[in-house]
Amino acid sequence: MTVGPGRARGSLERERRQAYWLVAPAVLVLAAVALYPILAAVWLSLHRFILVFGERRFVGLGNYAYLLGDARFWSALGNTAYFTVVAVGVELLLAVPLALLLQRAFPGRGLLRAAVLVPWAIPTVVSARLWAWMFNPDYGLINRLLLGSDINWLGAPGYALHAAILVDVWKTTPFVALLVLAGLQGIPEDLYKAARVDGASPWRTFRSITLPLLKPALLLAVLFRSLDAFRVFDAIYVLTEGGPANTTETLSIYAYKTLMRSGDFGYGSTLSVATFLCVVVLAAVWLRLLGRQEEAR
Amino acid sequence: MVRSFFVVLVLGVSVLSAGCRRGGGSGSEDGRDGAGSTRLVLKYQPLWGPPEPFRELLAGFERDNPGVTLVTEALPNSSDLAHQFFLTSLEGGAKDFDVLVADVVWVPEFARAGWIADLSAEFPPERLREEFLPGPVEAVVVEGRTYAVPWYLDVGVLYYRTDLVPRAPRTYAELERFALDAKAKVPGIQGYVWQGRQYEGLSCNVFEALWGHGGHAMGENGRVLLETEAGREALAYLRGLLVSGVSPETVMGFGEEEARRIFQEGRAVFMRNWPYAWSEAQKEGSPIRGKVGMAPLPTVSGEPGFGTLGGYQLAVNAHVSPERRKLAAKLISHLTSPEANLVLAVHYARNPPRAAVYDDARLKESSPFIAGLREMAERAKPRPVTPYYNLISDVLQSEFSAAVAGLRSPEESLKRAQKQVDHLMGEGR
Repeated sequence: MTVGPGRARGSLERERRQAYWLVAPAVLVLAAVALYPILAAVWLSLHRFILVFGERRFVGLGNYAYLLGDARFWSALGNTAYFTVVAVGVELLLAVPLALLLQRAFPGRGLLRAAVLVPWAIPTVVSARLWAWMFNPDYGLINRLLLGSDINWLGAPGYALHAAILVDVWKTTPFVALLVLAGLQGIPEDLYKAARVDGASPWRTFRSITLPLLKPALLLAVLFRSLDAFRVFDAIYVLTEGGPANTTETLSIYAYKTLMRSGDFGYGSTLSVATFLCVVVLAAVWLRLLGRQEEAR
Repeated sequence: MVRSFFVVLVLGVSVLSAGCRRGGGSGSEDGRDGAGSTRLVLKYQPLWGPPEPFRELLAGFERDNPGVTLVTEALPNSSDLAHQFFLTSLEGGAKDFDVLVADVVWVPEFARAGWIADLSAEFPPERLREEFLPGPVEAVVVEGRTYAVPWYLDVGVLYYRTDLVPRAPRTYAELERFALDAKAKVPGIQGYVWQGRQYEGLSCNVFEALWGHGGHAMGENGRVLLETEAGREALAYLRGLLVSGVSPETVMGFGEEEARRIFQEGRAVFMRNWPYAWSEAQKEGSPIRGKVGMAPLPTVSGEPGFGTLGGYQLAVNAHVSPERRKLAAKLISHLTSPEANLVLAVHYARNPPRAAVYDDARLKESSPFIAGLREMAERAKPRPVTPYYNLISDVLQSEFSAAVAGLRSPEESLKRAQKQVDHLMGEGR
């Protein structure tokens, strides 16, 4: 009887087909909500498409050629990169001490842990509006606190982007701190005990135990935050709408203005696709680093 | 904030309930309700002020046209949001409103898109030119055809402090001298405040400076021409105001309200703004009450300057049936009559676009301030009249802002703006 292997192959085949059926809904949903819009944006980006006048013409890579020579695109890319690097850097620097503080046992810790989340819980549009008032050069709280300063926070190039970074740092430092705190709690207590027995100084303990073991959590935080910061829109839109002189214009703001305000769907899609590609590259780099971490373990 | 929120809420609720009462929810396609009367919908922005006079104006139309019920629907107050509303609803072929308001810069765009009806039969361009001021007519007549009728207008003007300067400056040089003299006399006061934030108000200020330098922005074949000698001079002049200290650096963050607050508190000698700031300045308890004058903007030559034209026009939704279109045109004619102009001026401080209304004795009697605006209203000038204005306005704002902030020279800003504008307008123009 040689039916055995044949039947086995048949059932394997059937099982595989069943597996396809089982994942099909998920794949379909993903295709509908993620893949289709991306492909549609890519397809649109190959056209000159002005919705209002029904102008629609295939221009191939014309929009991309224009993009390469578009000074406004490059300055938006520069602003976005600067915003991301500085904001995420400062957030990490502030979040690690904050997390160490939150980990210590002291009365009222639960309350404090909840309280630091308040900035993160307020909708960005609301907090940005609050900050816009605080930054007002004539009536704002900030200039009053800096006794007699008349810095035009949101109106002067050079200051405005930093004001936006400050708002982002204020809002997301607690979130990063919580991610770091989760990482801290994953570090076995024994290691610290051993270090104490060996007579290591607190600084040495931090450098040789805490920091290396915290690395995956830090990388994860950087991954989340940098992808988020790179697409920043709401805070800046409320604070400055990209002004003065586009010094706070990020890629998302530029794409939004081109798409929604100007109604230029072709070039607006080109900008969206460019932003998307930047984010993909960024994500790939971080995931690679994260993967290497895992392997090293 | 809270108060205005309630005003909006109450307005919204009253509009809704009015809609329910009158329409009764039996909205069939042609807008006829059960009783056989026609329901005509007007989509406009709240006029504020007491509601009765405007309601009475609408009731007058219903009396003259038995069988017609008028319904009004409010739009968001912000021009940007209202534009986005029309973009999506008219693009989708909406038929649920007949008459709509349009900002000056939308008319050529909506006309080109085929969203608003040609009204040349009811309102021939020649007749508009006879009866209305030149600026608003220029904005509503596209390629020789009428697409909207001016409803009320706005114009950029110069405010000055009568107690600090001898008279209104006629030239830019005079404005700077007067401002610096006053600054030397009154410690802590600022010279000239205007709108320098990156938004449409900045473009208005720049176009005024351009016209004041003898320039214009429309080239041949409908091309928007920015790289001109007058353009460079205009931007250099605005930047120069900041450099010389005539204007504070903070104007780079100012919109209309920021400028008005500074001026109202008596902390500035000159201000460029719209006429609305006048009644605030002359209000009981205002620190500058009785010390404010208003004049046309200065120029290089000393001729009275052009102010940017603002304000709203009435147009007919092209998607509705010809029969309703005829009725809608009738409503527009009713709402833009000399009498209606007068109602809007007296009760809502909206400036009449009809020239003759400025000479009306009743206007001079009850709103002498508006009657006195005539010289400025006559010199209200539209921004470049092109269907692409909304498309390019964002580019203009950012490049103008760069020049005013001193990040780029006027030459460089205009070069970059021209390149982007030409790209956006493509061959479509």
